[in-house]
This record gives sequence, structure tokens and C-alpha cells, in this order.
Amino acid sequence: MVRALSFLEKKHRTSRFMFFFFVEKKKFLASRKNYNSLAILKNNKAQMKIQQMAFMILAVFLFFILVGLFFLSIEFRGLRQKAMLLQEESAVSSLKVISDMAEINFDSSETLVLDEDKLRILLGDFGKYYETFWPVSSIKVYKIYPAGEIIKCPSLNCNYYEIYNSGQKNVKEYSTYVSICRKIKEFSYVYDKCEIGKLVVGVKTNE
Amino acid sequence: MNKLKISSSKKAQQEIVGFVLIVVLVVVGLMVYLVISFKESPAEGNSVQVGNMLDSIMRTTTECALVFEPDFEDYRELFGSCYKNEVCRNLNKEACKYLNDSLREVLDNLIKSEATINYYKFELFEKEGAGIIEIKWGNCSGQISGAQRNIFKDSQTLIVRMTICN
Repeated sequence: MVRALSFLEKKHRTSRFMFFFFVEKKKFLASRKNYNSLAILKNNKAQMKIQQMAFMILAVFLFFILVGLFFLSIEFRGLRQKAMLLQEESAVSSLKVISDMAEINFDSSETLVLDEDKLRILLGDFGKYYETFWPVSSIKVYKIYPAGEIIKCPSLNCNYYEIYNSGQKNVKEYSTYVSICRKIKEFSYVYDKCEIGKLVVGVKTNE
Repeated sequence: MNKLKISSSKKAQQEIVGFVLIVVLVVVGLMVYLVISFKESPAEGNSVQVGNMLDSIMRTTTECALVFEPDFEDYRELFGSCYKNEVCRNLNKEACKYLNDSLREVLDNLIKSEATINYYKFELFEKEGAGIIEIKWGNCSGQISGAQRNIFKDSQTLIVRMTICN
């Protein structure tokens, strides 16, 4: 009984609410002013959605830009270092041209082999005639093996030859390993004795 | 009213899921790219500088004479003599033993002249065969560069390889 009563009361309340809701809505829509405010409300909601979308597009765009920058930074890492390495390798290759000149080369069949006797000759007065010949700013040769204290030639047991030095400033030096050979006669037997050295060539820079 | 709320909430959820999906896809792509790019070992290509170093070592005259003094071997010949287990008669020493000792001294001198080198490895081995000599020093940290040369001895090809790190 009580349950039935409460159910009826609930139903009654709901129907009353529905009645008021429809009446009020009708009244509300009837008024022009209220109709306009609803349109504004709907319009605001649309604007909000457009803003949301714009922000979303912006965020996605920025995200992809960041990803792109990350890709590029990985792709181009060490590019400067690689360029420098290539430049150095080309400079070292051009050192071959100097070492293969007949004036200092030991054996024309091999590259990067210097004749120690020719180096000694170029250190003397003879070298003055070559000052305009060398296409570089400086040429130095020193022995690495057998190792020892650097002694400038000409002198006894010397190991450092300064073949040419123009005295120019802003010079960048490039070096490479070479063999320094000479003919030796022992017990009427002639053989080639080769040691390890470094050829250092200075090139004028525009910096 | 509640239905309206639920539907808008579902829409927001869908958008979030879409965005998360994009992020996950991009992250997976990045991971794959990073794994591939870091898997590539540092270039151990044929360096001109190391090649010149190797050539000058191989031309260097040693103190080992196999037949008579002063018919000294250079390192290129000595590599072959070591492979054939010959003896330096003037020193009364096995060619390989002499090669191992003297080559280490040469390499140490060369490395001293280059302050930037922190590691080197010198190998002599048969092509598709066993190693004959291996000399190494230091720990590699930095750019690897290397070079190798072939030596022909009695129809056999020996390979001399040098790797440095700086």
C-alpha cells in the first residue's frame, strides 16, 4: 500500500515537472529575446570548438616541427667534422704531389718516399734557387723513427730538415707520413736504408 | 542532459585516443630510426693518413738479415719471412719474435708523434685464415680510421691492417 502510494506520488511529481518544463520552454521560446540568447549560446559553443580545433592543429604542427628538428639534428650530426676530415684528406693527398717531385723523391716508382741525400743538398746554397719553385709556404721534413731529440740539419745525427720557409704568416700546416731513404754502402754492398719521417707542408690561408 | 554530457565526453576521449595514437606512432618511428642510425658502426674506412703510415712502416729497413749482413729486410719482407717461420741469422732470432718486438717499438714511436691517437691495433693475418701477429695499445674512444695492404708470399695473400682511434 505504502509502496503504491509512493509510486503514485513520484509519478505525479514527474508529470508536474514535465508539464512545467514544456510550458516554461514554450514561454521561453516565445520570447524573441530569449531565442536570440540561445542562438548566441550555440554560437559560442561552435566558436569554442573551432578554437579547440585550432589549438589542436597548432599543437600537432609544433609537435611535428620538433620531431623534424630532432631528425635533422641526428642526420647532420658530425657534418662539420666530416667536412674537416675530407678537407684534411684532400690536403694529405696533395702532399703526395710535393713528395713525388723529382727534386726530393727517392724512387720514381714509389710515392711518399723522400731521398735524404737530396734533402741535404736542398738545405745548402742550392736551395736558394728553388725559392720561387715551391708552390707552398713551407716544407719541413723530420724523422720519427728512429726517435730522438730534434736536431736541425745540417749537423751530425740531425733529424730535422727545413727545406723551405717563405716566412709568411697565416700558414696552416698539413703533414703526412713518408719514408726517408738513402743509399748505404757496407762491405761493398749497396742497399737502401729507409726510416719513417713526416713531411710537413705549410699552406697560406685567407683567414 | 546526461546523455549529452556522456556523448561529448566520449568525443573528447576519442580525440585523446587519436592524439595518443599519433604520438605513439611517431615515437615508434623515432625509435626505429634511432636504432638503425646507432647500429651503424663508426666508419672504419680506408683512411689516407693511416694508409700512408702503414706504407711508411712497411718500407722501413729492419736490422734483420735472413741471409747475410747487410742484406737487411724491410718490414714488408719481414711479414712474409715471419709467415714462413724464417730466422734472422745475424741476430740469431726468429723473424716473428724480432718482428713482434721491433714493430711494437716503431708503433709506439709513431703514436708518440700523434698526440690525438688514443688507440691502435696492428694485425697481420692470412686472407681467410688465422692471425699471425696482433699488436694493440690503448682504449678506443672516438673516431676509428684504418687501412690495410696485401702482401703476396708464395701464392698466399697476407693482409696487414692498421686501425687507429682519435
